[in-house]
Amino acid sequence: MPERTSPSSRPSRAGSAAFVGLSLGLVIKVIFLATINATSIWALGRLVPEGVWVGVAFITIATLAIDIVYLAPGRWAIPFRYLLPGTIFLVAFQLYPVVYTASISTTNLGTGNILDKEAAIEQVIATSVGSTESDISYVARAAQSADGTLGLLLTDSRTDPPSHFVGTTEGLTPVDAAAIDFDGDRISEAAGFTALNLGQAADFETQLSELEVPAEEGIIRLQTFSRAALVGFRLQYDDASDTITDVETGTVYSPTEGFFRADDGTRLNPGWEVNVGFDNYRRVFNSEAVRGPFLRVFVWNWAFAAGTVLFSFALGLFLAVSLDHDELKGKRLYRSILIFPYALPSFLTVLVWQGMMNKDFGVINGLLNAEVPWLTDPWMARASLLLVSTWLSFPYFFLVSTGALQSIPSELVEAAKVDGANGPQAFRRVTLPLLLIAVAPLMISSFAFNFNNFNVVFFLNRGGPPIAGAQTPAGSTDILVTYTYRLAFESGRGQDLAFATAISILIFLHIALFSAWGFRKTARLEEI
Amino acid sequence: MTAPVVNRRPFGRWFREIGWRHVVGVAALIFSLFPVLFIISSSLNASGSLSSSGFFPSEFSLINYRDLLSGEDAPFLSWLWNTMLVAGGAAIANTAIAAFASYAFSRMRFAGRRAGLLSILLIQMFPTTLLFVALFVLVGDIGDIFPGLGLGSRLMLFIIYLGGALGVNTWLIKGYFDTIPRDLDESAIIDGATHAQIFFRVILPLAAPILAVVALITFVFTINEFLVASVVLGQGDAENFTLAVGMFRFVDGQGGEWGQFAAGSVMSGVPVVALFLFLQKYIVSGFTAGAVKG
Repeated sequence: MPERTSPSSRPSRAGSAAFVGLSLGLVIKVIFLATINATSIWALGRLVPEGVWVGVAFITIATLAIDIVYLAPGRWAIPFRYLLPGTIFLVAFQLYPVVYTASISTTNLGTGNILDKEAAIEQVIATSVGSTESDISYVARAAQSADGTLGLLLTDSRTDPPSHFVGTTEGLTPVDAAAIDFDGDRISEAAGFTALNLGQAADFETQLSELEVPAEEGIIRLQTFSRAALVGFRLQYDDASDTITDVETGTVYSPTEGFFRADDGTRLNPGWEVNVGFDNYRRVFNSEAVRGPFLRVFVWNWAFAAGTVLFSFALGLFLAVSLDHDELKGKRLYRSILIFPYALPSFLTVLVWQGMMNKDFGVINGLLNAEVPWLTDPWMARASLLLVSTWLSFPYFFLVSTGALQSIPSELVEAAKVDGANGPQAFRRVTLPLLLIAVAPLMISSFAFNFNNFNVVFFLNRGGPPIAGAQTPAGSTDILVTYTYRLAFESGRGQDLAFATAISILIFLHIALFSAWGFRKTARLEEI
Repeated sequence: MTAPVVNRRPFGRWFREIGWRHVVGVAALIFSLFPVLFIISSSLNASGSLSSSGFFPSEFSLINYRDLLSGEDAPFLSWLWNTMLVAGGAAIANTAIAAFASYAFSRMRFAGRRAGLLSILLIQMFPTTLLFVALFVLVGDIGDIFPGLGLGSRLMLFIIYLGGALGVNTWLIKGYFDTIPRDLDESAIIDGATHAQIFFRVILPLAAPILAVVALITFVFTINEFLVASVVLGQGDAENFTLAVGMFRFVDGQGGEWGQFAAGSVMSGVPVVALFLFLQKYIVSGFTAGAVKG
């Protein structure tokens, strides 16, 4: 630290320090704020036209907060200058997703219901090309642009003068007659597309016969090399009654629960996202085929987390006690190497275990010359999972217990021995209680971590082997978070996102109850 | 484990006091190192399939390393680079953000301080991993408007990881800042230092050990993070994967390219273990303060 300056020299030094701080700080501040504001205005320019009001609100509030906090002269603003960066990311990627998870859980979002209603109607209509052909037809020529895209040069003679279009898979573009090269009454070149002669067109016959130009009332297709016709949509949406009608059969589809459905129950795909209230939660509690596996996953989740912590703590403590002796040589070497399972990235080591435990090709069965179903039998798979998760976290408890043991004064143990306690008694009555005071909070946080330890469960066995007869993809070693992941992305019915979020919310509530209990037990909060 | 001590006391007594500890220690070493040695051996085995990988290489060769680095079967070097980029960036940025916040919590008194600290503790009870469905939909929506930040974007993944900066890390760093004597701040104030100068010139240099631990733990946690990375990157270009996403897809199933997977594991594991051993002393103190990694 610099020496204290004498009172007389203080003003000038303080003045110059403040000046240097001010100028450098000011430059950084101006650049920082200008960048933030410019980026925000650019982003708002994109968000407002799309009507994404959540995004608009978030960016506006965040930018205003930044401007106010970093420009306000008052002392009150100083702490918030340090807190704001983290808070913004926290709100955007922790808090908002929690709220969003809750809101998705009351919808039917998933494969088949991912669009909004408008987009779903559009897609239903656009894919409903009928067999009947309208009487609207065009004089047509196949054409190709310089980059090889195929298109149609179309003339509609119903109007006077005739109107001209270039049609591609992207859509129909009207072209002004003045900008077209004609070859008799047919177009030879327009908007960068050059007509193909019959021989060239024949080379592209397949592509041309499959070429569909989407137009407002239907799809335009080539019938011969010189004529194209508009094929109308089979399904028509009626705005007033909000129904879709099949013009060929007369069937009327009305919107119910995210799909247009006919009276006989047939529905038009895709559907759209609608609010279904608490249906997803009801499914968990009411449907036996869902509830059964869910409860098994839930119970195993507790057993897995508790088992992992207990086994790793027991093994870690045993090793710590064994290897903590003054006359033991190579203590440091043991400690450095025992940290390996913990230090190595777990996604790699768990995948290695998965390979080693393979029933047919694995090295463990190879060495044992046996066919132990390490990962394929439900109970063996659970045992194997506990073995691997213990392997992953015993070094943590070994290191922590070693540290805790060394901080316990040896006089206490000696005093107990003087009072007549033997070794085990002194350990159980003196050392262990003191050690637990230090290690118990770490056991709780390790439990919380393992409760959601996705990697070890998913990488070892993908949660398998499957529970027989389950309606949802639940496995014997699945914990809630892997179960949720599989529901969301690997369920047989495609992505069942909404149901997965409902399970996430149930996990949240459950963690909240558990931590409320934990908060009461801990005195840590009194100190802050 | 030679026993010169025998001269001073009988073997039986030596074994009861010391020797059995070596037996336990060696057994623990075998348990710890078995998968590690197996994967090193697999990586050096000329025949690259899981079924032919015994505990000792049948034919020593570096061919797995060459094949993997050639990038024909998997863009391993891109994955490694992406992981270093995302995890390195997240470690530095998260530590910086947490250090800023900790300074305010440790040194300043303001309305909402206690509530803020408690909320941080509460929020981090709800792990980011459980938010993956919402993040999946959210990132998809963002990508519709800002194509560079949609599904498949490494930058977006990095930004999402910043959401976890105000968590247990803030508590760890704040705890350490609390142990730095306030006299230092006060004498700096007398010397005319501003709050920013105190933070950058006084507090940060003194807090280097805890900052290193937090950065390392964040780094390793991010390398290990699979769920969010897979949700954000999984449907995009394989070139943009992180190691966790890429290596899982690479070995998924019956382990056909086991040798190359092994070579990749060795190459990714060595730097991390080296970092751990290098910072071992600090890490243990971080553990006792309550840090948990994946």
